[in-house]
Amino acid sequence: MITTIIKKLFPACLLCCGIAAALTACVNDDTDFSAYTNEQGTTTSNDTIRILYSGTTATVSGDSRGVVSVIGADVTVNDPTSTSTMVLVLSGTTPDGSLIVYRSLKYEVVLNGVSITNADGPAINNQCGKAFHLTLADGTVNTLTDGTAYAEQSYDQKGTLFSEGQIYVEGTGTLNVNGNSKNGIASDDYITFRSGTVYVNVAATGSNGVKVNDGFTIEGGTLNIDVKADGARGIRNEARTTIAGGNTTITTSGGCKIENTDGIVDTTSCAGIKSDSLFVMTAGTLTITSTGDGGKGINCSENIELSGGTMVVTTTGDNVMSKPKALKSDTGIIVSGGSLTATVSKSWACDNGTESDEPADRITIVGTPVTQTLTKKLVKVEF
Amino acid sequence: MERNLIVILLTALSLLFSPLSSPPARAQSEGGLVLSAGADKKIDRKLSIGAEAAFRTRNDFRTVDRWSGSLSASYKFNKWLKADAAYTLLYGNNRESITYNYDTNGVVTGYNNWRPSYWNTRHRLNASLTADYKFSNNLHFSLRERWQYTYRPEKTVTRWDFDNSQWEDKVRAGKGKNQLRSRLQVEYDKKRATLKPYASMELYNSWAIEKIRYTVGTDIKLTNQHSFDVFYRYQNVKNIDEDDYDPDMHYVGVGYKFKF
Repeated sequence: MITTIIKKLFPACLLCCGIAAALTACVNDDTDFSAYTNEQGTTTSNDTIRILYSGTTATVSGDSRGVVSVIGADVTVNDPTSTSTMVLVLSGTTPDGSLIVYRSLKYEVVLNGVSITNADGPAINNQCGKAFHLTLADGTVNTLTDGTAYAEQSYDQKGTLFSEGQIYVEGTGTLNVNGNSKNGIASDDYITFRSGTVYVNVAATGSNGVKVNDGFTIEGGTLNIDVKADGARGIRNEARTTIAGGNTTITTSGGCKIENTDGIVDTTSCAGIKSDSLFVMTAGTLTITSTGDGGKGINCSENIELSGGTMVVTTTGDNVMSKPKALKSDTGIIVSGGSLTATVSKSWACDNGTESDEPADRITIVGTPVTQTLTKKLVKVEF
Repeated sequence: MERNLIVILLTALSLLFSPLSSPPARAQSEGGLVLSAGADKKIDRKLSIGAEAAFRTRNDFRTVDRWSGSLSASYKFNKWLKADAAYTLLYGNNRESITYNYDTNGVVTGYNNWRPSYWNTRHRLNASLTADYKFSNNLHFSLRERWQYTYRPEKTVTRWDFDNSQWEDKVRAGKGKNQLRSRLQVEYDKKRATLKPYASMELYNSWAIEKIRYTVGTDIKLTNQHSFDVFYRYQNVKNIDEDDYDPDMHYVGVGYKFKF
């Protein structure tokens, strides 16, 4: 009897359960923070502090809270508990100075015609883990230079311009970054280029042009990177790389870096861009030239995806220690828009992880391009 | 019959109220629903294959937690030993995450970041061995040891930074996770019976016990082809970060299976 009831009623009950579940399970269980998120950009007060470098000294004005200290031309901003916004306006020239900032809230540094050289550390060191807005004042030319050896410190100093937090490069001026010891620009978070003209030149005694941990995005502006060290990368990114605008030019000229650790020889070749995650280009121009032995244009652990913009990648290096490749991806090279020209003088223009001898197998083209040339040493696709 | 049912009931109660089931310090729990529909096809006496789609809710049945689809194969070595392997595609809604600022004494001074809930895809592979022991005429004990690997691809999510008063992108890197799942089950399996009640306890181990599932339920065999599974499950979460909200769960589940 019970069995008969179960057999007859159960499917109907189940159907009701399914419908009820689908109808009721449509509520978001997030906390309501709209009171905070709707107040985006509002501030209660604003400190503008002007720092004028002059030779081996620096003059500070507008420091109403006494958070800035100066020794010679080494300027320290110690403002860890402030709740107000802060803008630091830098100008003048110093052959031996620096700026280091300790703070827990976002802030802005305006480079208003400043030249800072620091012989034993970064020119600017941001120890704040929050957003660091670097504004290049209109019509100004600014220069940051480090030395060939850094003094040992208890805090990180990974490049001429170093930030623990995110860096946003904005404004319409020009910035020259010269790296002689480590990276040109480095962030332990992510970097977004929005506007301005930036030249990053890293000597053979230095390392990468830009080193970033959590992501790299170019939205606009002009970025020129020139690195000369063996094994150096124009942009070394441990996360996703996105190019959505701007004009970017990268040149690497070093050869392979050979390291011997406990008898294990490790070879690191140069690359215009080395990305540990997805590389995506949707707009803008990207020109990469790599001239050293085994030099790569883009070396990516995941897909290289081009859907817009113009990408020109050329490698002219030899293949003694490593094989030069214009585009190298461990998972795939996908072109669905824009224009790609990849040229090599040795080895393959495109390497998507396959061993095929057919150039067409080494790239995925989605859609119908206007022109298409697929050879071992030249890949040209235009939509 | 009565004696065996009493044994099952006592086993289920002892599992449910054993010391391991004491709630964690947060003492928060939610209700959820698990619905599934699947099909099995016997290839020969030893080998069978199957497919299943499942749906799960949380937040006291009000929020969809995940959808999933899986393909599986099962091989029976003999009467008491069976091996399974499966691939599952998971499309899940990750709970929001809130982090806080602390002063030097460890006292919360305010919010740090809020990452709203978001959907993402995960891939799961598992392989298991199940040993079955017939305790009496109709009473079976089984032990299933399952290795499970779940891969979460990289995903860029947005989060609100309270200090900066702005939304920012955060890349959640791709990550794989290995888990060992150990399930001990007792079931009453009488030939030609419509109901096949069972109780089980399952440990999720990834260098430490991460959660424990206690389940009581019954299979309902309508015909040789159509059957249902109805259960209640208490999921006790262990060893989670203080900032993570991962409550204990009370699940009610209904599953349908079609046998070719």
